[in-house]
Amino acid sequence: MGPHSYDPGTAPSLLLWTIEIPPGNVHIDLDDGEAALHLDNRCELFDAFTVPNSLNPMHPLGFVSGFLKSMRVRWSGVKRVQTFNNHSTFRGEFLETSATIELKVQTPSTKAPFTPSAQDGFEFIADPATSEVHFAQIGHENNGALF
Amino acid sequence: MRGISRRAWLHRTMGAGAVLGSGLWAPSVVAADDDDGQKRCGVPLPIPHTTAGPFGPLHFYFPGPIDGSASPTDGTGTHAEGRDPSTVTNFDGFVGAVDMDFSGTARDTKTGAEAAYKFHTDSRFMIGEFIASDQKRHKGAFAFL
Repeated sequence: MGPHSYDPGTAPSLLLWTIEIPPGNVHIDLDDGEAALHLDNRCELFDAFTVPNSLNPMHPLGFVSGFLKSMRVRWSGVKRVQTFNNHSTFRGEFLETSATIELKVQTPSTKAPFTPSAQDGFEFIADPATSEVHFAQIGHENNGALF
Repeated sequence: MRGISRRAWLHRTMGAGAVLGSGLWAPSVVAADDDDGQKRCGVPLPIPHTTAGPFGPLHFYFPGPIDGSASPTDGTGTHAEGRDPSTVTNFDGFVGAVDMDFSGTARDTKTGAEAAYKFHTDSRFMIGEFIASDQKRHKGAFAFL
């Protein structure tokens, strides 16, 4: 089924792979060490097929709209507390945790010139039980002019 | 979310590259509604820190402890200034970040063929206040995907 790689692109401001979302899509409770991010029916992301193709301004493998049908990331299970302050540009208090993800994402069928050749549509449904976390954290921070 | 690890790929290609083109697509945040119902004419700005990418600098840190100590999830090494997980600068708020692998079932929507498929993700949220390019303070929430 070929490679697939989803991201929202890079803004003219150079803000990377970041989209604005409704505040209600985020829930965080640091007292309980839990947080959640849910996204539904979002089309502001692309299937760039590979990371290098995403970052290449020419997108030689194509760059087509993907569809994030649903995404649920849940953080819980505090492992360690980290505080840091560089006294000028960044300070934070974070809880290192575990996490799980549920995801359903789709790419429509494509044809040239949107991809070099026609490709069948793609759909992926994650199994949350397979989540293998390398690093996860939730917390509060201040940076830049709001340090 | 990607079939090839973003972290692994960037680490392999660091130091290469030309200038990042300015013609990349922009998330539509200009003139977004702010909490007070007024239109916002500014956009969130990226953190100053950059990680070398193949086509120019990328404004983010790889995941890892905020004290900037060594982490297997950040092949760029340690960061004495700390490792800010937010991609938005001039920010005061809450952040969640996760670096993980996961798998599931992929389906060819034309043929119906199914196969096991593996993804890697570095996903984050940011929610709070920020000073945008209009030099004004706003409230907002963001997802890094």
